[in-house]
Amino acid sequence: MKKISTSKFLSNSILILVIIGTLLFALFPIYWTLTMSLKPAVEWAPAVTHWWPWNPSLENYLPLFFERQTLIDWGVLQGWQEAIPDTAIKSITNSLILGIGGTALSMFIGTTAAYAMSRYKAGGNFMPYLFLTFRMLPPIAIMIPIVIWISTLGLIHPALGMDSHLVMILLYGLFPMPFVIWLMRSFFEEIPKEIDEAALIDGCTPLTTFLRVILPLVKAGLAVTALFVFILNWSDFMVALIITRRLAITIPVQIGLYSTDYGFLYGIMAALGIVALIPTIAFGLLIQRYLVRGFTFGAVKG
Amino acid sequence: MALSDWFRIPEKFSTLMIIPVQIVMNFTAMIPFALTWYVGMTNWQPQITPFFWEAQFVGIQNFLKIPGDDLFVASLARTLLIVAVCVPVEFLLGFGQAYVLSRNFRGRQAIRVIAIVPMMMVPIVTGYVFYLMFIPTGPVSSFINLITGRTEPILFFADPNLALMTIMLADIWQWTPFIFLIFISSILALPQDPINAAYVLGASRGYTFRRVMLPMLKTPIMIALILRSIECFKVMELPWIMTQGGPGYSTFTIQMHLYESAFKYLKYGFTNAQSLTIFITMIIIGWYASKPLRGG
Repeated sequence: MKKISTSKFLSNSILILVIIGTLLFALFPIYWTLTMSLKPAVEWAPAVTHWWPWNPSLENYLPLFFERQTLIDWGVLQGWQEAIPDTAIKSITNSLILGIGGTALSMFIGTTAAYAMSRYKAGGNFMPYLFLTFRMLPPIAIMIPIVIWISTLGLIHPALGMDSHLVMILLYGLFPMPFVIWLMRSFFEEIPKEIDEAALIDGCTPLTTFLRVILPLVKAGLAVTALFVFILNWSDFMVALIITRRLAITIPVQIGLYSTDYGFLYGIMAALGIVALIPTIAFGLLIQRYLVRGFTFGAVKG
Repeated sequence: MALSDWFRIPEKFSTLMIIPVQIVMNFTAMIPFALTWYVGMTNWQPQITPFFWEAQFVGIQNFLKIPGDDLFVASLARTLLIVAVCVPVEFLLGFGQAYVLSRNFRGRQAIRVIAIVPMMMVPIVTGYVFYLMFIPTGPVSSFINLITGRTEPILFFADPNLALMTIMLADIWQWTPFIFLIFISSILALPQDPINAAYVLGASRGYTFRRVMLPMLKTPIMIALILRSIECFKVMELPWIMTQGGPGYSTFTIQMHLYESAFKYLKYGFTNAQSLTIFITMIIIGWYASKPLRGG
Protein backbone atom coordinates (compact mmCIF):
# COMPACT_ATOMS: atom_id res chain seq x y z
CA MET A 1 0.00 0.00 0.00
CA LYS A 2 2.79 2.36 0.96
CA LYS A 3 4.67 1.62 -2.26
CA ILE A 4 1.70 2.60 -4.42
CA SER A 5 1.26 5.93 -2.69
CA THR A 6 4.99 6.67 -3.06
CA SER A 7 4.91 6.05 -6.80
CA LYS A 8 1.73 8.09 -7.06
CA PHE A 9 3.43 10.94 -5.21
CA LEU A 10 6.39 10.65 -7.57
CA SER A 11 4.28 10.70 -10.75
CA ASN A 12 2.24 13.61 -9.42
CA SER A 13 5.36 15.63 -8.68
CA ILE A 14 6.67 14.86 -12.19
CA LEU A 15 3.37 16.14 -13.58
CA ILE A 16 3.58 19.34 -11.54
CA LEU A 17 7.23 19.87 -12.55
CA VAL A 18 6.35 19.43 -16.23
CA ILE A 19 3.44 21.84 -15.94
CA ILE A 20 5.62 24.50 -14.28
CA GLY A 21 8.40 23.93 -16.81
CA THR A 22 5.95 24.21 -19.71
CA LEU A 23 4.50 27.41 -18.33
CA LEU A 24 7.90 29.06 -17.80
CA PHE A 25 9.46 27.84 -21.03
CA ALA A 26 6.49 28.59 -23.28
CA LEU A 27 5.28 31.78 -21.68
CA PHE A 28 8.37 33.83 -20.88
CA PRO A 29 9.07 34.95 -24.50
CA ILE A 30 5.34 35.60 -24.89
CA TYR A 31 5.45 37.70 -21.72
CA TRP A 32 8.43 39.58 -23.11
CA THR A 33 6.57 40.26 -26.38
CA LEU A 34 3.52 41.46 -24.49
CA THR A 35 5.48 43.80 -22.23
CA MET A 36 7.53 45.01 -25.21
CA SER A 37 4.30 45.98 -26.96
CA LEU A 38 3.29 48.02 -23.89
CA LYS A 39 6.64 49.83 -23.55
CA PRO A 40 7.20 53.27 -25.04
CA ALA A 41 10.16 53.65 -27.41
CA VAL A 42 12.75 54.60 -24.75
CA GLU A 43 12.18 51.27 -22.96
CA TRP A 44 12.67 48.94 -25.97
CA ALA A 45 16.42 48.44 -25.46
CA PRO A 46 17.20 50.38 -22.25
CA ALA A 47 20.47 50.57 -20.32
CA VAL A 48 19.12 48.45 -17.45
CA THR A 49 16.68 45.56 -17.76
CA HIS A 50 13.06 46.66 -17.49
CA TRP A 51 11.40 43.46 -16.27
CA TRP A 52 8.00 45.11 -16.67
CA PRO A 53 6.97 48.30 -18.51
CA TRP A 54 7.76 51.27 -16.26
CA ASN A 55 5.37 53.55 -18.14
CA PRO A 56 2.86 51.15 -19.75
CA SER A 57 0.84 52.59 -22.62
CA LEU A 58 -1.08 51.38 -25.65
CA GLU A 59 0.65 53.80 -28.04
CA ASN A 60 2.33 50.97 -29.97
CA TYR A 61 -1.06 49.58 -30.96
CA LEU A 62 -2.30 52.88 -32.42
CA PRO A 63 -0.21 52.83 -35.67
CA LEU A 64 -1.60 49.37 -36.43
CA PHE A 65 -5.15 50.63 -36.80
CA PHE A 66 -4.99 54.37 -37.51
CA GLU A 67 -3.55 56.25 -40.46
CA ARG A 68 -0.36 58.24 -39.92
CA GLN A 69 -2.15 61.54 -40.62
CA THR A 70 -4.85 60.81 -38.01
CA LEU A 71 -2.17 60.12 -35.41
CA ILE A 72 -0.32 63.33 -36.25
CA ASP A 73 -3.60 65.26 -35.94
CA TRP A 74 -4.15 63.72 -32.52
CA GLY A 75 -0.63 64.69 -31.55
CA VAL A 76 0.45 61.16 -30.56
CA LEU A 77 3.26 60.91 -33.12
CA GLN A 78 6.34 63.07 -33.22
CA GLY A 79 9.63 63.24 -35.09
CA TRP A 80 10.99 59.99 -36.49
CA GLN A 81 7.77 58.13 -35.81
CA GLU A 82 6.31 59.87 -38.84
CA ALA A 83 8.30 57.34 -40.88
CA ILE A 84 6.02 54.45 -39.89
CA PRO A 85 4.34 52.60 -42.79
CA ASP A 86 0.61 52.30 -43.50
CA THR A 87 -1.84 50.66 -41.10
CA ALA A 88 -1.77 46.92 -40.58
CA ILE A 89 -5.51 46.47 -41.22
CA LYS A 90 -4.99 45.42 -44.84
CA SER A 91 -2.31 42.90 -43.92
CA ILE A 92 -4.48 41.40 -41.16
CA THR A 93 -7.48 40.91 -43.48
CA ASN A 94 -5.16 39.54 -46.19
CA SER A 95 -3.56 37.10 -43.77
CA LEU A 96 -7.00 35.89 -42.69
CA ILE A 97 -8.24 35.45 -46.28
CA LEU A 98 -5.07 33.79 -47.55
CA GLY A 99 -4.58 31.69 -44.43
CA ILE A 100 -8.13 30.34 -44.38
CA GLY A 101 -8.36 29.95 -48.17
CA GLY A 102 -5.00 28.21 -48.43
CA THR A 103 -5.77 25.94 -45.48
CA ALA A 104 -9.16 24.94 -46.92
CA LEU A 105 -7.65 24.18 -50.34
CA SER A 106 -4.75 22.27 -48.83
CA MET A 107 -7.01 20.25 -46.53
CA PHE A 108 -9.41 19.37 -49.37
CA ILE A 109 -6.88 18.12 -51.89
CA GLY A 110 -4.56 16.68 -49.25
CA THR A 111 -7.22 14.70 -47.38
CA THR A 112 -8.78 13.20 -50.50
CA ALA A 113 -5.36 12.17 -51.79
CA ALA A 114 -4.31 10.79 -48.40
CA TYR A 115 -7.48 8.69 -48.23
CA ALA A 116 -6.92 7.29 -51.72
CA MET A 117 -3.31 6.48 -50.83
CA SER A 118 -4.17 4.90 -47.50
CA ARG A 119 -7.18 2.82 -48.53
CA TYR A 120 -6.74 2.11 -52.24
CA LYS A 121 -2.93 2.27 -52.31
CA ALA A 122 -3.23 4.81 -55.13
CA GLY A 123 0.21 5.56 -56.49
CA GLY A 124 1.75 2.65 -54.60
CA ASN A 125 4.43 3.20 -51.97
CA PHE A 126 6.28 5.74 -54.02
CA MET A 127 3.73 8.55 -54.42
CA PRO A 128 3.54 9.66 -50.77
CA TYR A 129 7.31 9.95 -50.77
CA LEU A 130 7.20 11.92 -54.02
CA PHE A 131 5.02 14.51 -52.30
CA LEU A 132 7.35 14.63 -49.31
CA THR A 133 10.31 15.41 -51.56
CA PHE A 134 8.52 18.61 -52.50
CA ARG A 135 9.25 19.93 -49.00
CA MET A 136 12.93 19.00 -49.37
CA LEU A 137 13.50 21.36 -52.26
CA PRO A 138 15.08 24.56 -50.88
CA PRO A 139 12.41 27.27 -51.12
CA ILE A 140 14.70 29.54 -53.16
CA ALA A 141 15.05 26.86 -55.83
CA ILE A 142 11.33 26.66 -56.40
CA MET A 143 10.63 30.39 -55.91
CA ILE A 144 12.76 31.59 -58.85
CA PRO A 145 10.90 29.47 -61.44
CA ILE A 146 7.56 30.13 -59.73
CA VAL A 147 8.17 33.86 -60.14
CA ILE A 148 8.96 33.32 -63.84
CA TRP A 149 5.86 31.16 -64.27
CA ILE A 150 3.56 33.54 -62.40
CA SER A 151 4.80 36.66 -64.18
CA THR A 152 4.16 34.88 -67.49
CA LEU A 153 0.63 33.96 -66.43
CA GLY A 154 0.15 37.52 -65.19
CA LEU A 155 0.39 38.75 -68.77
CA ILE A 156 -2.79 36.78 -69.51
CA HIS A 157 -4.72 38.18 -66.56
CA PRO A 158 -3.53 40.22 -63.56
CA ALA A 159 -5.41 37.89 -61.17
CA LEU A 160 -2.96 35.12 -62.15
CA GLY A 161 0.10 37.34 -61.77
CA MET A 162 2.27 38.66 -58.97
CA ASP A 163 0.68 40.30 -55.92
CA SER A 164 -2.68 38.58 -56.45
CA HIS A 165 -4.80 36.93 -53.77
CA LEU A 166 -5.71 34.01 -56.03
CA VAL A 167 -2.10 33.07 -56.69
CA MET A 168 -1.25 33.37 -52.99
CA ILE A 169 -4.15 31.06 -52.05
CA LEU A 170 -2.95 28.53 -54.63
CA LEU A 171 0.60 28.67 -53.29
CA TYR A 172 -0.59 28.47 -49.68
CA GLY A 173 -2.64 25.45 -50.70
CA LEU A 174 0.35 23.90 -52.41
CA PHE A 175 3.25 24.38 -49.99
CA PRO A 176 1.78 22.73 -46.86
CA MET A 177 0.09 19.94 -48.86
CA PRO A 178 2.81 17.30 -48.24
CA PHE A 179 2.19 17.82 -44.52
CA VAL A 180 -1.53 17.25 -44.96
CA ILE A 181 -0.96 14.10 -46.99
CA TRP A 182 1.51 12.63 -44.52
CA LEU A 183 -0.31 13.54 -41.33
CA MET A 184 -3.76 12.55 -42.62
CA ARG A 185 -2.40 9.30 -44.03
CA SER A 186 -1.08 8.36 -40.60
CA PHE A 187 -4.46 9.19 -39.04
CA PHE A 188 -6.30 7.11 -41.67
CA GLU A 189 -3.90 4.21 -41.08
CA GLU A 190 -4.88 4.17 -37.40
CA ILE A 191 -8.49 3.33 -38.31
CA PRO A 192 -9.02 -0.42 -38.74
CA LYS A 193 -9.84 -1.50 -42.30
CA GLU A 194 -12.74 -3.57 -40.93
CA ILE A 195 -14.75 -0.38 -40.46
CA ASP A 196 -14.55 0.39 -44.20
CA GLU A 197 -15.50 -3.15 -45.07
CA ALA A 198 -18.45 -3.13 -42.69
CA ALA A 199 -19.73 0.15 -44.16
CA LEU A 200 -19.43 -1.16 -47.73
CA ILE A 201 -21.30 -4.36 -46.82
CA ASP A 202 -24.03 -2.32 -45.13
CA GLY A 203 -24.69 -0.53 -48.41
CA CYS A 204 -22.51 2.57 -48.35
CA THR A 205 -20.85 3.60 -51.59
CA PRO A 206 -17.13 4.44 -51.40
CA LEU A 207 -18.08 8.13 -51.31
CA THR A 208 -20.52 7.84 -48.41
CA THR A 209 -18.09 5.55 -46.56
CA PHE A 210 -15.53 8.32 -46.80
CA LEU A 211 -17.86 11.19 -45.92
CA ARG A 212 -20.14 9.62 -43.31
CA VAL A 213 -18.00 6.94 -41.68
CA ILE A 214 -14.29 7.67 -41.96
CA LEU A 215 -14.17 11.48 -41.84
CA PRO A 216 -16.07 11.71 -38.53
CA LEU A 217 -13.62 9.18 -37.07
CA VAL A 218 -10.56 11.30 -37.95
CA LYS A 219 -12.08 14.55 -36.68
CA ALA A 220 -9.23 15.00 -34.19
CA GLY A 221 -6.66 14.40 -36.92
CA LEU A 222 -8.39 16.84 -39.25
CA ALA A 223 -8.48 19.48 -36.53
CA VAL A 224 -4.80 19.08 -35.63
CA THR A 225 -3.69 19.08 -39.28
CA ALA A 226 -5.82 22.12 -40.13
CA LEU A 227 -4.42 24.03 -37.16
CA PHE A 228 -0.92 23.13 -38.21
CA VAL A 229 -1.42 24.13 -41.85
CA PHE A 230 -3.06 27.37 -40.79
CA ILE A 231 -0.08 28.20 -38.58
CA LEU A 232 2.36 27.43 -41.42
CA ASN A 233 0.48 29.75 -43.78
CA TRP A 234 -0.07 32.39 -41.13
CA SER A 235 3.63 32.64 -40.31
CA ASP A 236 5.07 32.24 -43.81
CA PHE A 237 7.49 35.03 -44.66
CA MET A 238 9.49 33.91 -47.69
CA VAL A 239 6.68 33.28 -50.18
CA ALA A 240 4.77 36.41 -49.21
CA LEU A 241 7.94 38.54 -49.34
CA ILE A 242 8.73 37.43 -52.89
CA ILE A 243 5.22 37.29 -54.40
CA THR A 244 3.36 40.19 -52.77
CA ARG A 245 3.99 43.86 -53.38
CA ARG A 246 1.24 46.07 -52.03
CA LEU A 247 -2.25 44.57 -52.47
CA ALA A 248 -1.77 41.12 -50.98
CA ILE A 249 0.82 41.75 -48.24
CA THR A 250 0.49 39.60 -45.14
CA ILE A 251 1.26 40.15 -41.46
CA PRO A 252 4.89 38.86 -41.55
CA VAL A 253 5.69 41.18 -44.46
CA GLN A 254 4.02 44.06 -42.63
CA ILE A 255 6.16 43.30 -39.56
CA GLY A 256 9.22 43.50 -41.81
CA LEU A 257 8.11 47.00 -42.84
CA TYR A 258 8.62 48.21 -39.27
CA SER A 259 12.38 47.96 -39.67
CA THR A 260 12.50 51.48 -41.07
CA ASP A 261 15.32 53.81 -42.05
CA TYR A 262 14.91 55.40 -38.61
CA GLY A 263 15.53 52.12 -36.78
CA PHE A 264 13.68 49.01 -35.69
CA LEU A 265 10.27 49.81 -34.22
CA TYR A 266 10.37 46.83 -31.82
CA GLY A 267 7.32 47.91 -29.83
CA ILE A 268 5.09 48.13 -32.88
CA MET A 269 6.41 44.81 -34.20
CA ALA A 270 5.63 43.20 -30.84
CA ALA A 271 2.16 44.78 -30.84
CA LEU A 272 1.39 43.30 -34.26
CA GLY A 273 2.87 39.98 -33.11
CA ILE A 274 0.45 39.95 -30.17
CA VAL A 275 -2.49 40.85 -32.45
CA ALA A 276 -1.41 38.05 -34.81
CA LEU A 277 -1.53 35.55 -31.93
CA ILE A 278 -5.25 36.10 -31.35
CA PRO A 279 -6.69 34.15 -34.35
CA THR A 280 -4.33 31.20 -33.93
CA ILE A 281 -4.99 30.91 -30.20
CA ALA A 282 -8.74 31.10 -30.90
CA PHE A 283 -8.28 28.29 -33.44
CA GLY A 284 -6.25 26.29 -30.91
CA LEU A 285 -8.97 26.65 -28.25
CA LEU A 286 -11.58 25.65 -30.83
CA ILE A 287 -9.91 22.31 -31.61
CA GLN A 288 -9.39 21.45 -27.92
CA ARG A 289 -12.70 19.59 -27.72
CA TYR A 290 -11.62 17.19 -30.48
CA LEU A 291 -8.56 16.10 -28.52
CA VAL A 292 -10.30 13.41 -26.50
CA ARG A 293 -9.00 10.07 -25.44
CA GLY A 294 -9.57 6.92 -27.50
CA PHE A 295 -12.12 8.22 -29.95
CA THR A 296 -12.14 4.96 -31.98
CA PHE A 297 -12.58 2.99 -28.78
CA GLY A 298 -14.96 0.07 -29.20
CA ALA A 299 -15.47 0.42 -32.94
CA VAL A 300 -14.06 -3.03 -33.62
CA LYS A 301 -14.41 -5.96 -31.26
CA GLY A 302 -12.77 -9.36 -31.45
CA MET B 1 -21.10 5.31 -68.36
CA ALA B 2 -22.96 7.17 -65.68
CA LEU B 3 -21.35 10.00 -63.80
CA SER B 4 -22.32 8.47 -60.49
CA ASP B 5 -20.13 5.45 -61.28
CA TRP B 6 -17.20 7.58 -60.20
CA PHE B 7 -18.54 7.57 -56.67
CA ARG B 8 -19.63 3.93 -56.62
CA ILE B 9 -16.87 1.78 -58.08
CA PRO B 10 -13.88 1.69 -55.74
CA GLU B 11 -11.20 1.80 -58.46
CA LYS B 12 -12.78 4.84 -60.09
CA PHE B 13 -13.40 6.51 -56.74
CA SER B 14 -9.74 6.09 -55.92
CA THR B 15 -8.77 7.82 -59.17
CA LEU B 16 -11.29 10.59 -58.54
CA MET B 17 -9.86 11.26 -55.10
CA ILE B 18 -6.34 11.65 -56.44
CA ILE B 19 -7.29 14.00 -59.30
CA PRO B 20 -7.36 17.34 -57.36
CA VAL B 21 -3.87 16.85 -56.01
CA GLN B 22 -2.60 15.96 -59.47
CA ILE B 23 -4.10 19.10 -61.01
CA VAL B 24 -2.59 21.40 -58.40
CA MET B 25 0.80 19.69 -58.39
CA ASN B 26 1.15 19.68 -62.15
CA PHE B 27 0.08 23.24 -62.74
CA THR B 28 1.86 24.95 -59.89
CA ALA B 29 4.82 22.72 -59.09
CA MET B 30 5.86 20.55 -62.02
CA ILE B 31 6.35 23.31 -64.59
CA PRO B 32 8.44 25.46 -62.21
CA PHE B 33 10.36 22.33 -61.23
CA ALA B 34 11.26 21.62 -64.85
CA LEU B 35 12.38 25.27 -65.13
CA THR B 36 14.58 24.80 -62.05
CA TRP B 37 16.48 22.03 -63.81
CA TYR B 38 16.89 24.03 -66.98
CA VAL B 39 18.02 27.20 -65.19
CA GLY B 40 20.40 25.12 -63.06
CA MET B 41 22.22 24.16 -66.24
CA THR B 42 22.61 27.71 -67.57
CA ASN B 43 24.80 30.55 -66.41
CA TRP B 44 21.78 32.86 -66.15
CA GLN B 45 22.46 36.19 -64.44
CA PRO B 46 19.49 38.53 -64.91
CA GLN B 47 21.62 41.68 -65.05
CA ILE B 48 23.43 40.27 -68.13
CA THR B 49 20.62 38.44 -69.92
CA PRO B 50 17.15 39.54 -68.75
CA PHE B 51 15.37 36.38 -69.92
CA PHE B 52 16.44 32.91 -68.90
CA TRP B 53 16.23 31.48 -72.42
CA GLU B 54 18.89 33.91 -73.58
CA ALA B 55 21.40 32.56 -71.06
CA GLN B 56 24.17 30.26 -72.20
CA PHE B 57 23.58 26.55 -71.62
CA VAL B 58 26.55 25.17 -69.71
CA GLY B 59 25.36 21.66 -68.85
CA ILE B 60 26.74 20.20 -65.61
CA GLN B 61 29.52 22.78 -65.25
CA ASN B 62 27.58 24.52 -62.45
CA PHE B 63 27.44 21.28 -60.51
CA LEU B 64 31.18 20.69 -60.87
CA LYS B 65 31.92 24.14 -59.40
CA ILE B 66 29.97 23.49 -56.17
CA PRO B 67 32.71 21.77 -54.08
CA GLY B 68 34.93 24.80 -54.70
CA ASP B 69 32.42 27.14 -53.03
CA ASP B 70 33.87 27.25 -49.49
CA LEU B 71 30.99 29.26 -48.04
CA PHE B 72 28.52 26.70 -49.40
CA VAL B 73 30.36 23.79 -47.76
CA ALA B 74 30.81 25.64 -44.44
CA SER B 75 27.20 26.82 -44.17
CA LEU B 76 25.94 23.37 -45.15
CA ALA B 77 27.97 21.79 -42.34
CA ARG B 78 26.72 24.43 -39.88
CA THR B 79 23.10 23.83 -40.86
CA LEU B 80 23.57 20.09 -40.38
CA LEU B 81 24.94 20.81 -36.90
CA ILE B 82 21.85 22.90 -36.09
CA VAL B 83 19.59 20.05 -37.26
CA ALA B 84 21.59 17.48 -35.31
CA VAL B 85 21.20 19.46 -32.08
CA CYS B 86 17.71 20.94 -32.43
CA VAL B 87 15.70 17.97 -33.70
CA PRO B 88 16.67 15.48 -30.95
CA VAL B 89 16.20 18.10 -28.23
CA GLU B 90 12.82 19.13 -29.61
CA PHE B 91 11.83 15.49 -29.93
CA LEU B 92 12.72 14.58 -26.34
CA LEU B 93 11.11 17.71 -24.88
CA GLY B 94 7.95 17.47 -26.99
CA PHE B 95 7.49 13.74 -26.51
CA GLY B 96 8.08 13.90 -22.75
CA GLN B 97 5.70 16.82 -22.44
CA ALA B 98 3.02 15.02 -24.46
CA TYR B 99 3.41 11.79 -22.46
CA VAL B 100 3.06 13.54 -19.10
CA LEU B 101 0.37 16.02 -20.13
CA SER B 102 -1.79 13.33 -21.76
CA ARG B 103 -2.85 12.28 -18.23
CA ASN B 104 -6.16 13.43 -16.84
CA PHE B 105 -5.75 16.35 -14.48
CA ARG B 106 -7.59 19.56 -13.71
CA GLY B 107 -6.85 22.36 -16.17
CA ARG B 108 -5.33 19.99 -18.77
CA GLN B 109 -7.01 21.79 -21.66
CA ALA B 110 -5.53 25.16 -20.73
CA ILE B 111 -2.03 23.71 -20.27
CA ARG B 112 -2.20 21.93 -23.63
CA VAL B 113 -3.10 25.16 -25.43
CA ILE B 114 -0.34 27.07 -23.61
CA ALA B 115 2.14 24.37 -24.64
CA ILE B 116 1.45 25.00 -28.34
CA VAL B 117 1.40 28.80 -28.15
CA PRO B 118 5.10 29.23 -29.15
CA MET B 119 4.39 27.62 -32.52
CA MET B 120 1.64 30.20 -33.14
CA MET B 121 4.01 33.13 -32.84
CA VAL B 122 5.02 34.56 -36.21
CA PRO B 123 8.70 33.47 -36.67
CA ILE B 124 9.91 36.99 -37.47
CA VAL B 125 8.50 38.25 -34.18
CA THR B 126 10.17 35.29 -32.45
CA GLY B 127 13.44 36.39 -34.04
CA TYR B 128 13.13 39.98 -32.83
CA VAL B 129 11.94 39.00 -29.35
CA PHE B 130 14.75 36.47 -28.86
CA TYR B 131 17.18 39.10 -30.08
CA LEU B 132 15.83 41.56 -27.49
CA MET B 133 15.97 38.87 -24.80
CA PHE B 134 19.64 38.11 -25.44
CA ILE B 135 21.00 41.65 -25.83
CA PRO B 136 23.48 42.62 -23.04
CA THR B 137 20.79 44.48 -21.08
CA GLY B 138 18.13 41.90 -21.85
CA PRO B 139 16.45 39.62 -19.28
CA VAL B 140 18.58 36.50 -19.94
CA SER B 141 21.89 38.21 -19.32
CA SER B 142 20.52 40.03 -16.26
CA PHE B 143 19.06 36.83 -14.85
CA ILE B 144 22.32 34.91 -15.23
CA ASN B 145 24.21 37.78 -13.60
CA LEU B 146 21.69 37.87 -10.77
CA ILE B 147 22.26 34.17 -10.01
CA THR B 148 26.01 33.92 -10.52
CA GLY B 149 26.92 37.33 -9.16
CA ARG B 150 28.78 38.38 -12.32
CA THR B 151 28.71 42.09 -12.97
CA GLU B 152 29.69 42.20 -16.66
CA PRO B 153 26.84 41.67 -19.11
CA ILE B 154 27.11 38.59 -21.34
CA LEU B 155 27.60 39.47 -25.02
CA PHE B 156 25.69 36.61 -26.60
CA PHE B 157 25.92 37.93 -30.15
CA ALA B 158 29.67 38.62 -30.02
CA ASP B 159 30.72 35.04 -29.33
CA PRO B 160 30.33 32.60 -32.28
CA ASN B 161 29.32 29.64 -30.10
CA LEU B 162 26.89 31.59 -27.91
CA ALA B 163 25.32 33.22 -30.99
CA LEU B 164 24.74 29.81 -32.56
CA MET B 165 23.29 28.61 -29.26
CA THR B 166 20.76 31.45 -29.06
CA ILE B 167 19.55 30.58 -32.56
CA MET B 168 19.19 26.93 -31.59
CA LEU B 169 17.29 27.97 -28.47
CA ALA B 170 14.89 30.10 -30.49
CA ASP B 171 14.30 27.23 -32.92
CA ILE B 172 13.74 24.78 -30.05
CA TRP B 173 11.32 27.18 -28.38
CA GLN B 174 9.37 27.71 -31.57
CA TRP B 175 9.10 24.12 -32.80
CA THR B 176 8.95 21.84 -29.74
CA PRO B 177 5.16 22.43 -29.82
CA PHE B 178 5.01 20.82 -33.27
CA ILE B 179 6.33 17.54 -31.82
CA PHE B 180 4.07 18.01 -28.80
CA LEU B 181 0.99 18.50 -31.00
CA ILE B 182 1.69 15.37 -33.07
CA PHE B 183 2.24 13.22 -29.98
CA ILE B 184 -0.54 14.58 -27.80
CA SER B 185 -3.02 13.72 -30.57
CA SER B 186 -1.40 10.32 -31.26
CA ILE B 187 -1.14 9.31 -27.61
CA LEU B 188 -4.72 10.35 -26.93
CA ALA B 189 -5.90 8.44 -30.00
CA LEU B 190 -4.20 5.17 -28.95
CA PRO B 191 -6.64 2.31 -28.33
CA GLN B 192 -6.98 1.95 -24.56
CA ASP B 193 -7.64 -1.82 -24.41
CA PRO B 194 -4.03 -3.05 -24.73
CA ILE B 195 -2.77 -0.42 -22.28
CA ASN B 196 -5.41 -1.22 -19.66
CA ALA B 197 -4.80 -4.94 -20.19
CA ALA B 198 -1.11 -4.42 -19.49
CA TYR B 199 -1.89 -2.54 -16.26
CA VAL B 200 -4.37 -5.23 -15.17
CA LEU B 201 -1.74 -7.91 -15.77
CA GLY B 202 0.52 -6.02 -13.38
CA ALA B 203 2.92 -4.31 -15.79
CA SER B 204 4.63 -1.20 -14.45
CA ARG B 205 4.21 2.21 -16.04
CA GLY B 206 7.68 2.09 -17.60
CA TYR B 207 7.23 -1.42 -18.97
CA THR B 208 3.82 -0.59 -20.48
CA PHE B 209 5.32 2.51 -22.06
CA ARG B 210 8.24 0.62 -23.60
CA ARG B 211 6.53 -2.56 -24.70
CA VAL B 212 2.94 -1.48 -25.44
CA MET B 213 2.81 2.24 -26.27
CA LEU B 214 6.11 2.77 -28.10
CA PRO B 215 5.48 0.09 -30.78
CA MET B 216 2.07 1.62 -31.48
CA LEU B 217 3.64 5.08 -31.81
CA LYS B 218 6.27 4.02 -34.35
CA THR B 219 4.61 5.77 -37.30
CA PRO B 220 4.07 9.15 -35.59
CA ILE B 221 7.64 9.04 -34.25
CA MET B 222 9.07 8.50 -37.74
CA ILE B 223 6.82 11.16 -39.27
CA ALA B 224 7.64 13.72 -36.59
CA LEU B 225 11.39 13.16 -36.93
CA ILE B 226 11.41 13.25 -40.72
CA LEU B 227 9.14 16.30 -41.11
CA ARG B 228 10.95 18.23 -38.40
CA SER B 229 14.41 17.46 -39.85
CA ILE B 230 13.32 18.64 -43.29
CA GLU B 231 11.88 21.87 -41.90
CA CYS B 232 14.76 22.52 -39.50
CA PHE B 233 17.18 22.27 -42.41
CA LYS B 234 15.43 25.30 -43.92
CA VAL B 235 16.06 27.56 -40.89
CA MET B 236 16.63 31.05 -42.20
CA GLU B 237 14.43 33.77 -40.66
CA LEU B 238 15.77 33.35 -37.12
CA PRO B 239 19.51 33.76 -37.87
CA TRP B 240 18.73 36.42 -40.44
CA ILE B 241 16.97 38.61 -37.89
CA MET B 242 18.95 37.75 -34.76
CA THR B 243 22.53 37.78 -36.05
CA GLN B 244 22.48 38.43 -39.83
CA GLY B 245 24.74 35.36 -40.00
CA GLY B 246 27.33 36.91 -37.71
CA PRO B 247 29.64 37.33 -35.93
CA GLY B 248 31.65 36.72 -39.09
CA TYR B 249 29.89 33.85 -40.80
CA SER B 250 29.45 31.81 -37.61
CA THR B 251 25.63 31.57 -37.82
CA PHE B 252 25.28 31.66 -41.59
CA THR B 253 22.93 28.85 -42.71
CA ILE B 254 22.65 27.18 -46.09
CA GLN B 255 19.32 28.83 -46.93
CA MET B 256 20.78 32.26 -46.24
CA HIS B 257 23.66 31.40 -48.55
CA LEU B 258 21.25 30.38 -51.31
CA TYR B 259 19.15 33.51 -50.79
CA GLU B 260 22.16 35.82 -50.96
CA SER B 261 23.64 34.01 -53.92
CA ALA B 262 20.31 34.34 -55.77
CA PHE B 263 18.98 37.76 -54.80
CA LYS B 264 22.13 39.64 -53.77
CA TYR B 265 24.71 38.33 -56.26
CA LEU B 266 22.05 37.38 -58.85
CA LYS B 267 23.69 34.07 -59.73
CA TYR B 268 20.39 32.37 -60.57
CA GLY B 269 21.87 29.51 -62.57
CA PHE B 270 24.51 28.56 -60.01
CA THR B 271 22.02 28.89 -57.10
CA ASN B 272 19.62 26.51 -58.78
CA ALA B 273 22.40 24.00 -59.33
CA GLN B 274 23.31 24.21 -55.63
CA SER B 275 19.68 23.84 -54.57
CA LEU B 276 19.24 20.79 -56.79
CA THR B 277 22.35 19.18 -55.34
CA ILE B 278 20.94 19.61 -51.83
CA PHE B 279 17.57 18.37 -53.04
CA ILE B 280 18.97 15.16 -54.57
CA THR B 281 21.10 14.45 -51.49
CA MET B 282 18.08 14.86 -49.24
CA ILE B 283 15.93 12.63 -51.45
CA ILE B 284 18.48 9.84 -51.21
CA ILE B 285 18.90 10.20 -47.43
CA GLY B 286 15.15 10.51 -46.92
CA TRP B 287 14.44 7.44 -49.05
CA TYR B 288 16.45 5.27 -46.66
CA ALA B 289 15.28 7.09 -43.52
CA SER B 290 11.61 6.60 -44.41
CA LYS B 291 12.00 2.92 -45.29
CA PRO B 292 10.10 1.66 -42.22
CA LEU B 293 7.18 3.91 -43.17
CA ARG B 294 6.86 2.94 -46.80
CA GLY B 295 6.78 -0.79 -46.12
CA GLY B 296 3.21 -0.71 -44.78
